[in-house]
Amino acid sequence: MIELKNVKKRYHTGQTVVDALRGITLKIDKGEFLSIAGPSGSGKTTVLNIIGTLDTHDEGDVFLDGEDVSRMDKKTRARYRRKNIGFIFQTFNLIPVLSAYENVAFALHLLKFPEEEILDRTMSILAEVGLEGFENRRPDQLSGGQQQRVAIARALVKNPLLVIADEPTANLDSETGEVIMQLMKSLNDKYNITFIFSTHDNMVMENAERIVRIHDGKIESDTGRIR
Amino acid sequence: MKFIITLSWKNLTRYTRRTIITALSISIGIMMFILVDSLLTGAEKDSERNLIAYETASAQIVTRKYWDDRENLSLKDSIQKPDEVISFLEKRGIPATPRISFPGEIIVYKNPYPEDGNLQVKIDAIDPERDPKVFKLKDRITEGRWLKPEEHGLLMGKWMAEDIGAKVGYPITIFTKTRDGAYQTLDLTITGLINSENPIVNRYGLYIPIDIADEMLYMNGSASAIFLLFKSTKNFDSRLLTLSKEISSKFPDLTVVSWKELAEDYVALAETKRGGSSIILLFLFVIAAVGISNTMLMAIYERTREIGMMRAMGMKERSIGLLFIFESAIIGAVGSLVGIILSIPFVYLLVNHGINYGWLTRDFDIGYRITSIFYGAWNPTTFFKAFFMGTIIAVIVALFPVRRAFKKSIVDCLCFR
Repeated sequence: MIELKNVKKRYHTGQTVVDALRGITLKIDKGEFLSIAGPSGSGKTTVLNIIGTLDTHDEGDVFLDGEDVSRMDKKTRARYRRKNIGFIFQTFNLIPVLSAYENVAFALHLLKFPEEEILDRTMSILAEVGLEGFENRRPDQLSGGQQQRVAIARALVKNPLLVIADEPTANLDSETGEVIMQLMKSLNDKYNITFIFSTHDNMVMENAERIVRIHDGKIESDTGRIR
Repeated sequence: MKFIITLSWKNLTRYTRRTIITALSISIGIMMFILVDSLLTGAEKDSERNLIAYETASAQIVTRKYWDDRENLSLKDSIQKPDEVISFLEKRGIPATPRISFPGEIIVYKNPYPEDGNLQVKIDAIDPERDPKVFKLKDRITEGRWLKPEEHGLLMGKWMAEDIGAKVGYPITIFTKTRDGAYQTLDLTITGLINSENPIVNRYGLYIPIDIADEMLYMNGSASAIFLLFKSTKNFDSRLLTLSKEISSKFPDLTVVSWKELAEDYVALAETKRGGSSIILLFLFVIAAVGISNTMLMAIYERTREIGMMRAMGMKERSIGLLFIFESAIIGAVGSLVGIILSIPFVYLLVNHGINYGWLTRDFDIGYRITSIFYGAWNPTTFFKAFFMGTIIAVIVALFPVRRAFKKSIVDCLCFR
């Protein structure tokens, strides 16, 4: 489903050139629950950004569901993300003036779903992530864990092919982080949606079925079950 | 679209105080715009009315030669048979009156005047019976009385009388030249003082009976000009054009000159002032634009990560841009609406009570033909114009920060701290 072939990425900061990825080759199947692990600056976020079409690669090939990402223009990439990719961010990135319901419904409004379907899907996914009764609360009226649940619901409500989570538990305490990981895993099992998340937390890594360790822009190890 | 508008509206509640301050800055700009416009429109309307009522009438009929050399007030180029022209006009229901205008020097002596003196002036010889049909001078005699035919009397503007220490009953000598160029002296008595709404009349006005001028200047019944009045201003230009054609065909050496041409100094001045006022208005709008631009810059800066999240979720840049533009438009529209509402009581006061600039107009000629109170005017078009301008400016100034926000990559937006 996702295939990276010898992907390289360089960043230019002033006159300094940083090789963020030095030839990543990786294949991820549908429904995997995969962790990209590595220390800070190893390149794990860059891999996620390239898979999520938020960033472009300099060399190599990236295929998403058979489509060559390098052939996609800016608009096509945006359209692809809108329909097929859900994002969960470390800092939740919810819209503060919208309620939990409206934040989740936002993803469906972008896809121009009819109002009734937006209502059904949003209420159902909020219940699934354990936020029944919290629909009308704004982010500042929710705990960190609850906010991340809203973000998970927002990522999943459109039934995407892939969910990308960049350090989803980094802003949560370990207990809440564990609950969030279990929630993500249960949703992965239930809907067979591919989850790719980055982390440098061993506890979070333990939840993954497959762990790809990156160091200095290269894959150091790839362990775990491949479906 | 509905969702974007709803979200824009909700975003405005994030920083209520900032939103209110920005909207208020627009309100003040709009309010100033409406008030200045009201005052200018009112001043122009009153000036035009006072020009026509006391100075120019609706139009003048003069010989072409006289018009070409109008600065010199040449008596030689006068209309030979003014009665024929007046009768032609009166048959068409147009009130008309002849005048002889000539330059001269008034000479006054100590006792009864405070001191000896002389002054270069322009004198208008008027028909005491016909003139009130065209001009309103007769209604503005505040001391003394109106002129009688064949009397050696003179009407003087009140401000001039105050300046030279003249009073009703005082003698006055006018030194001038006859039509043939011979020197002539007219000994007259001040019969009345005029205090009109037109400062030019009050400051420079000197009027004598036309038959006295005719006799003393050897005019043989001729007149410098015939002043006419259109009682209604409706279709003024087309009516004037028709009359002009009729006059040209019947009296080939005569021409009709509208009040706008006669008061070209005022018209030019009014236009210049309007231009100057536009700069003030532009300045006010720049202040409002800077306010809203700053607010939008802050909003976009603070929400860089949110913009990154929206772009990551695949929201079209156009839609994100619209989000901020709607926010700005709402601030602009609300600010403009509040500005309009706030301006209404002030415009009401201007229209009904005006502002007294008598302290200024008495000593300085500011160009407008208004002696003291400048009244405002209701101008509904300005209200609509102000609303649309306020909203459109708000939208335009929001475009720049929005465009800037999209120059950042999504990754940079998401990492922004």
